[in-house]
Amino acid sequence: MLNFVVRRLLGMLPVLLAVSLLTFLIASLLPGDLALVILGDQATPETVAALRRDMGLDQPLWWRYLSWLGHVLQGDLGRSFRTGQTVLQAVAERIPVSLQLMLMAEFIGLLIGVPVAIACAARAGGAFDRFMTGSAFAMLSMPSFLVAILLIYLFAVELHWLPATGYVPFTEAPLANLRFFVLPALTLALAEWPGIMRVLRSDMIATLQEDYIALAKAKGLKPARILFVHALKPSSLTLVTVTGINIGRLLGGTLIVESIFALPGIGRLLVGAIYTRDLVILQGVVLLVACGFVIVNFIVDMLYAVLDPRIRHGHA
Amino acid sequence: MTNIAAAARKHAPIFLVAAFALLPLAGPVQAQKPGGSITVGQELEIAGFDPLKVGVYDTSTFTAAAAIFDTLTTLDDKGEAAPKLAMSWTHSDDYKSWTFRLREGVKFHDGTPFNAQAFKENFDRQKDPANKCRCAFYITNVKEVLAPDETTVVFNLTDPSVNWPAVITIQSSNNVIQSPTAWKTKGDDYNRNPVGTGPYILKSWTAGDRMVLEKNPNYWDKGRPYLDRIILKPLPDAQSRFASLQSGEADIIWDDENDADNIMKAQKDSKLTVHTYKGSGAQVYAFNTKVAPFDDVRVRQALVMALDRPKMSQAISNGLSRPATNPYGDGSWVKCKDDGALPFDVEKAKALIKDYGKPVEFKMLVTATPRGRMIGQVLQQFWKRAGANMEIEQVDQATIPSRAFTRQFQMTPWRIVDLADPDPQMYANFRSGSPLALAGYSNPELDKLLDHARVTADLGQRTEDYCAIGRLINKEAIWFWTFQNTYYALSSAKLKGFPKIYNGVIDVSRTWLE
Repeated sequence: MLNFVVRRLLGMLPVLLAVSLLTFLIASLLPGDLALVILGDQATPETVAALRRDMGLDQPLWWRYLSWLGHVLQGDLGRSFRTGQTVLQAVAERIPVSLQLMLMAEFIGLLIGVPVAIACAARAGGAFDRFMTGSAFAMLSMPSFLVAILLIYLFAVELHWLPATGYVPFTEAPLANLRFFVLPALTLALAEWPGIMRVLRSDMIATLQEDYIALAKAKGLKPARILFVHALKPSSLTLVTVTGINIGRLLGGTLIVESIFALPGIGRLLVGAIYTRDLVILQGVVLLVACGFVIVNFIVDMLYAVLDPRIRHGHA
Repeated sequence: MTNIAAAARKHAPIFLVAAFALLPLAGPVQAQKPGGSITVGQELEIAGFDPLKVGVYDTSTFTAAAAIFDTLTTLDDKGEAAPKLAMSWTHSDDYKSWTFRLREGVKFHDGTPFNAQAFKENFDRQKDPANKCRCAFYITNVKEVLAPDETTVVFNLTDPSVNWPAVITIQSSNNVIQSPTAWKTKGDDYNRNPVGTGPYILKSWTAGDRMVLEKNPNYWDKGRPYLDRIILKPLPDAQSRFASLQSGEADIIWDDENDADNIMKAQKDSKLTVHTYKGSGAQVYAFNTKVAPFDDVRVRQALVMALDRPKMSQAISNGLSRPATNPYGDGSWVKCKDDGALPFDVEKAKALIKDYGKPVEFKMLVTATPRGRMIGQVLQQFWKRAGANMEIEQVDQATIPSRAFTRQFQMTPWRIVDLADPDPQMYANFRSGSPLALAGYSNPELDKLLDHARVTADLGQRTEDYCAIGRLINKEAIWFWTFQNTYYALSSAKLKGFPKIYNGVIDVSRTWLE
């Protein structure tokens, strides 16, 4: 197992390096000069040149990348020229919100997706299965901004059950915090459960055709016991991967959902950085998010290996 | 872009009425009720308040700045300069020097006394080339600020400015007065811990979420402010911002014509109030007259005559946008009997293009936003009908000013913002040789009128000058105007005392709850 972990960790290094290079290039190759952004369009060429020199922007690209990477490795991702905050400070302030949103969304997604998948698999091809598979397809085709607005109008404006926008930290008021998260998490979850359901459903159907299930049936075990105890675990391998990949996808979803529900998370930070051309924040956040994604994938790989020992001994 | 246009100040100060005596702050007629708290839904997140960091304030920052800071002067309900931290003012005969007498006994929230020296330090800090502040551009027409004694501030200007006290009323990074002690002691942290003399004190600020402002118990204007607390929240999505107002999570929200459906819905809702301010200025477009095909006046006139503004308004904002035929707008004191606008006439436009004899093909810059794209497409259709082919070039909002300043365009969108006086922007946009004279058009008669309007104190005479300027620009079609500036705020009907939305600033510092 240790061997496997080390191999995987070493495999991550080139990926992380590529991620850092790409992030650096995104910000460096975007049209617009950072010095000009800071000084404004009316700055004289001399002041722009002076600032470019101060910031090292007149150096060749490779030199700037290496020097930036050097700083990043020491934990210095730079400082926003608009707010004076360091990237790490800004991210630390916002990350709990996005994490909570993603976890709640994934949780609600599983809460809907798993039971539906089991029920569908139990009577594959039946009326319920056909209806849910159709609904899942419909849900997948709904853009999240539309779902969000519909939920807001139903639950906030018409019924007054939940707030339309806003946020309080969990530590300040736990119940109010959860109330603020219900609609945004539900918005994301409604796009999540169809994927979860479809993957688990097809795996379950395959598992249910295995010999040992037939044996269990022959032994007269209750159908519920067969489904939950004997079929669920071996069928959930793909689900683990999907859940891992979803976390990366959810990050993309937060860009829209956080803006609509006014949640102060990473998505909003990124949108704001793009809007104000705060390239330092943009670069830093994209780097951290990309690294986060690589790390999540690593964890998924590890889980996979735990669930199925064949993987760590095989050609993984 | 709005701030860019305000850049006009560089080559152009102002005029208007001169003898502003001790006008009291215009108080609303209804009975003000103290206490309570409101939540303001804003469009953007606030980056901070230190001019050296943020450069120029955006509209969301204006709202906070109006509560935390004071300016020397303010605009009353009639749009004229009234005292705030300055009690009175006088000017030199040539309007190049203005002397302000300051209010005594005023203190910043941190206890630092407000005096002439504090004001001068604010100004010098922005002006100092070593600080490389983006804000410096907008005060290049101020040569120096002097503080001869505790309560006297003197502005020495490079150009005459008849209306200087009105020009410095907007809560911009240049005009709000910040505590020198605070920025010196807090350093990098000052940006997010602003200290002013204003009616509200910043209590807490959660990044990306809320800014809580509490009543300043020692405010110099006794009895004010009325509300105990103001909470500012960035709600970037227009739909959910409106939903927050409807569900009561916000008491007042920023809005604009992009959101026409919701503005119209609010107009029909008895629980909501729609605050509309018909400002001066307009949404405008400049032709680059130095390049073909716009070096020919027939082409320019044809394109302007092909515009059906009411239909365009219907297409982009459900008819909310108010057509403009001159650069001044209903909110301006410049009222022209005849602004010489070219009439909408497709046949005439076709004839002019035919007369020109060559195919009319050009590129137009538009912002890479859904709105920019839509406006571009609507214009494209109008011009196609007249026989001209326009290609849309979508660029990032920030790219437009630099392309415009370097004249790398054939046609570009621009804006004349709502300012108390037309001079700064008109002079910068149309005087020969000004870096902002985007059309590259030069005409001695136009220059003469612009020069005359800025050194004349008589309002009637100035109106005549500006109307003549408008007629000349319309006839030569070097720029054209599509819609006037209209500013919106939607609030709960319980919110009272909300002032005019000058230059788009939602100033809630004088409001109360019924």
